[in-house]
Amino acid sequence: MFSPLIGGLQKTTDYRVVLPFYFYAAISFLVANILLLLHTNITDVNYFNPYTLAITHAMALGWGTMIIFGASHQLLPVLVEGKLDSNTLAYLTFSFAAIGIPILIYGFYVFNTGYILQAGATLINVAVIFYLINVFSSSFKSKKRNVHAWYIVAATLWLFSTTFFGLLLVFNFTQNILPQNSVSYLSIHAHLGLIGWFLLMVIGVGSRLIPMFLISKYTNDKVLWIIFILINTSLISFIIFKTLQLNTYFYYFSIVMSLIAIILFANHCKKAHKIRIRKNVDEQMKTSLISVLQMILPIVVLIIILSILPNHHQDKIVLLYGFCILFGWITAIILGMTFKTLPFIVWNKVYHKKAHAGKTPAPKELFSEKIYHLMLLIYLIGFIAFIVGIIFTNQLIVKIGAAALLIAAILYVINTSKVFLHKPQKI
Amino acid sequence: MSVNNIITNDTERCNFALIGLYEVDDPEVGLNVVDLGLIYQLDFDSEEKNLDAQITLTTQFCPMGESITSNITQALSNAFPDWKINVNLTFDPPWDFSKISPEGREFLGH
Repeated sequence: MFSPLIGGLQKTTDYRVVLPFYFYAAISFLVANILLLLHTNITDVNYFNPYTLAITHAMALGWGTMIIFGASHQLLPVLVEGKLDSNTLAYLTFSFAAIGIPILIYGFYVFNTGYILQAGATLINVAVIFYLINVFSSSFKSKKRNVHAWYIVAATLWLFSTTFFGLLLVFNFTQNILPQNSVSYLSIHAHLGLIGWFLLMVIGVGSRLIPMFLISKYTNDKVLWIIFILINTSLISFIIFKTLQLNTYFYYFSIVMSLIAIILFANHCKKAHKIRIRKNVDEQMKTSLISVLQMILPIVVLIIILSILPNHHQDKIVLLYGFCILFGWITAIILGMTFKTLPFIVWNKVYHKKAHAGKTPAPKELFSEKIYHLMLLIYLIGFIAFIVGIIFTNQLIVKIGAAALLIAAILYVINTSKVFLHKPQKI
Repeated sequence: MSVNNIITNDTERCNFALIGLYEVDDPEVGLNVVDLGLIYQLDFDSEEKNLDAQITLTTQFCPMGESITSNITQALSNAFPDWKINVNLTFDPPWDFSKISPEGREFLGH
């Protein structure tokens, strides 16, 4: 006879809610890398062109956002110390985003600024509204909200700001609803997403998961609140400076705020790493920790753009800045965290009530370590080659970089498929 | 009385329970729940056939907590099939490094 468990046991989200997001993200990563290889000449032209926009949105929405949607539905109970409020809203989020994202990408690819882009952007906004309701209802049903919950709430609000502003920009292509043309607002739209959504979310989730996976008791809510305030101040100040069209020097204030926040977060991770109980850190955690350092790279590029380069060189460096964020920091953290979270979700599904009956495979045995290492190596080669190719304006090196990134994406899909298709082994 | 740092009122039955509990791993760490120090107390009431277990997790927010606790319950139920099993999760005192056995520490690289 069993009795109900007493105590604050974490409720796990149903795997059926989470897995479609991971699968969709893997396919999007592959598609984005195919597009990158087919259109490497984007490195020689202005960043406002159909192919760059298509690839950027495939990476930001199809890859980054979809995997964060999946992971956050799984981790929301851990972050808000409650349970996911609605599986139905999660399914609706997936359905609308899954249809809207390819329509939007296709709209950019063929540069149909009319109904195709409008339909894609509208569907994505509906998906984000469902996600927003779910995050809010889950967070505010919980008796208390810790600092991590506020990160996820704020990040979700910034995500909605990003997609809603994106919707306005799309309609502004055909109807004059904003004072200036849509291109003038691209940097605000991009930073709403990159800083407000991705950076806040990654720090909010990472600050809880990294100590948890390292089995480290380190925690410092005061520092996490300071980081939270710095990032939000940085983003709000940037929007104000940009809207008022102030001198470039004002932007340094916003950049320094973000830089201090990232350094504080890196230091937070370092301290958690230092007092960890688990001494043997696995490769996935190493990848995630390295990606924290990769956050600094785009800031360095941004300072170069503003302080050193004359205006006619800026197109190339803006592209480099975006590449370092989407294909660098965001991709690296996803590559690491996918193989930390996905095997657990599938393991929980397959072995949830079987682990007492004998030795089961460990979650890390659900994917191939060999393929993982190869993927990381090829990804790093591709990432570095692509950057070198952009800097030296060498199409051959850019092509080699893009090809290597595509191979890394293929290996990622193979290895995640291995996890998805895992069948229970006889115990 | 205690067996492997587990407080108990019946060392013989506790040792028998441990056979099953050694088979239950924390899937993230890859170490069994006994060496990890997640089992705080096992109280046996042979007259009422009642087993009260006090257990913990490495962190209150462990996403694998549901799986670990249900597997501990199942392992105890397998060891004592006609007993009532009460598994109580506690975070007082919170789990820390001192709860890990020497074998567990070696496994974790210490």
